[in-house]
Amino acid sequence: MSALRRITVIVGYEWRRALAKKSVLTLIILAIAVQSLILALYSRFAVDTMFLTEEVKPFMWILGVLQGQGLFVQLIAIIIAGSTMSEEYEHGTADILLSKPITKVEYLSGKFLGGFSLLALVEALTTVVGVILASWFFGPQNGLQYVPLIFLAIVYSTLIFFCLSFMFSEVLRRSTLTMLIALVILVASSITRQLLVQLYLTTEEYLYFYLSRGIPTWGANYFPSLLMRELMTIPSTVFLNLINDPLIPIEARIRGVSEAILVREALQQAAIIVAVYAIIFILVAVYRLLKSDVTKKTA
Amino acid sequence: MVSNLTKYYGNFKALDSVSFAVGKGWIYGYLGPNGAGKTTTIRTMLGLLKPDQGEVQIASVNPTKDPVQALQSVGYAPELPTLQTFFTGMQLLDFMGRMFGLNARDRKEGIKQLLNLVGLKEWGDKKIGKYSKGMVQRLSVALALINDPTVLIMDEPTIGMDPEATAHFRNLFTTLSKQGKTVFISSHLLDEVQRICTHVGMINKGRMVFDGPITQVLEAFTQQWVIEAELKEVTKTIVSALKKLDYVQDVKTEGNKLRIELKEKKDLRGEISSEIFKRKGVLLSLNLHKITLEDAYLRALKGGQ
Repeated sequence: MSALRRITVIVGYEWRRALAKKSVLTLIILAIAVQSLILALYSRFAVDTMFLTEEVKPFMWILGVLQGQGLFVQLIAIIIAGSTMSEEYEHGTADILLSKPITKVEYLSGKFLGGFSLLALVEALTTVVGVILASWFFGPQNGLQYVPLIFLAIVYSTLIFFCLSFMFSEVLRRSTLTMLIALVILVASSITRQLLVQLYLTTEEYLYFYLSRGIPTWGANYFPSLLMRELMTIPSTVFLNLINDPLIPIEARIRGVSEAILVREALQQAAIIVAVYAIIFILVAVYRLLKSDVTKKTA
Repeated sequence: MVSNLTKYYGNFKALDSVSFAVGKGWIYGYLGPNGAGKTTTIRTMLGLLKPDQGEVQIASVNPTKDPVQALQSVGYAPELPTLQTFFTGMQLLDFMGRMFGLNARDRKEGIKQLLNLVGLKEWGDKKIGKYSKGMVQRLSVALALINDPTVLIMDEPTIGMDPEATAHFRNLFTTLSKQGKTVFISSHLLDEVQRICTHVGMINKGRMVFDGPITQVLEAFTQQWVIEAELKEVTKTIVSALKKLDYVQDVKTEGNKLRIELKEKKDLRGEISSEIFKRKGVLLSLNLHKITLEDAYLRALKGGQ
């Protein structure tokens, strides 16, 4: 049997394991419910106000697709990845799996790809639901040819917190502790970024600006919206600005360059930052698995 | 083959130069008290733990270096297993079959046979979460057999099973060994080991205290054979006549029973009974007490070898 086939078997296993968890299913349902509720509220209360003008309506799918990016999708990523490795140690099933003819790297790859492909499926679902709801509530939508690319960008951007949680799952081998730490990092990272942005705005010191971009939530939150801005022209309104990086217009004013140039620059930086974090987190997980014993049942 | 295996947990030496070899068709009983290092040995054999020194080879392949080849023909049932409760018994067997690269037809046939074999035919389509401990244990044995292994490693396989199932699995292990499979069993149940094992390894505080055929273990730890005789009436004449025999070490009396301690490890019941008849004694029963595995085990743990 080839290594690829062994990895595929573990991918299938991981899907079943993750979907059997009620918390994952609950969060998926909750994400879709919140997504529907927000669009419904906009359609009920914001139509023909300064938040939702006629020219914005054909772009409401952007809100439908990206609104979950900041919290729900990252949360689902943390929960799926947080138990991927650790739960097998806690239940003692790692012994059963790793005593089979499979290498540790194949096992870890299968676990990673299984969890991440499931996350991608959830993201595909929320993307499709977002587009359908936007069309339903606000009529025909523009720029839908970019939906697949935006979907891929969302998947890519979730790599940071998925890999972070996956790494802790292998390093700590405790699901609850892993999820708690990843969640604290998600929240702390958001708060720290806001502080750094404020410091930059107050002092205009570029160190704070670059530090704020190095924070994991920046890449995770803004990569898809930066790509969206690179691909299409979106009417600038209050609510659409919420999902864009607010520093870009300020930076454009300070540096006296066009926003388009800064968006491209930021997009490249975000892509690199996501990749760097993901690679580091995965390497730490691989190192831990290869260099340490398989922990006996811990729960 | 386990060679010079040493394993530390921090500063604690869990295995200290453990070596033994298990041949084809053997049933090897691995004995030791709690915390002696039995499970550590097994987990190291499977490549789950990295040895600090020494090496394990299964069919000449080191499972730490090449788990794919080394473990392809190995079946393993862990001690008190926790199985994936979101699967049914059939689904888990099917998944494990996939891990060994079995095709769909072989898996389907194998699963049916194995569920029958372990007495879970009616439970195959039920979620494992609904299984009792004994049923999980049975399924764990079935899982260990899904790839038709040539080497079967069982860590306390009959714990939690009822006596009927225990007897059934003992017979199963014997049958498997007769088919040429190597069966390695870690067990606390000395009676079980004595009944089915061809060879025994004993470990205490991480060190091997015995490794060899079961016949040798009894021999090795036997200090004295004893014959117990029950007579209608014990007379001084009989006792003193027995004491005078060359091969008798001592004779102790307790009511109408005699405990005759022998100098040699030989079955001398014939000679003893003739001596008693010569002295007009009426013999009600006569038993030779060799050492049991339990005696040997206890002596081994005390450093009796």
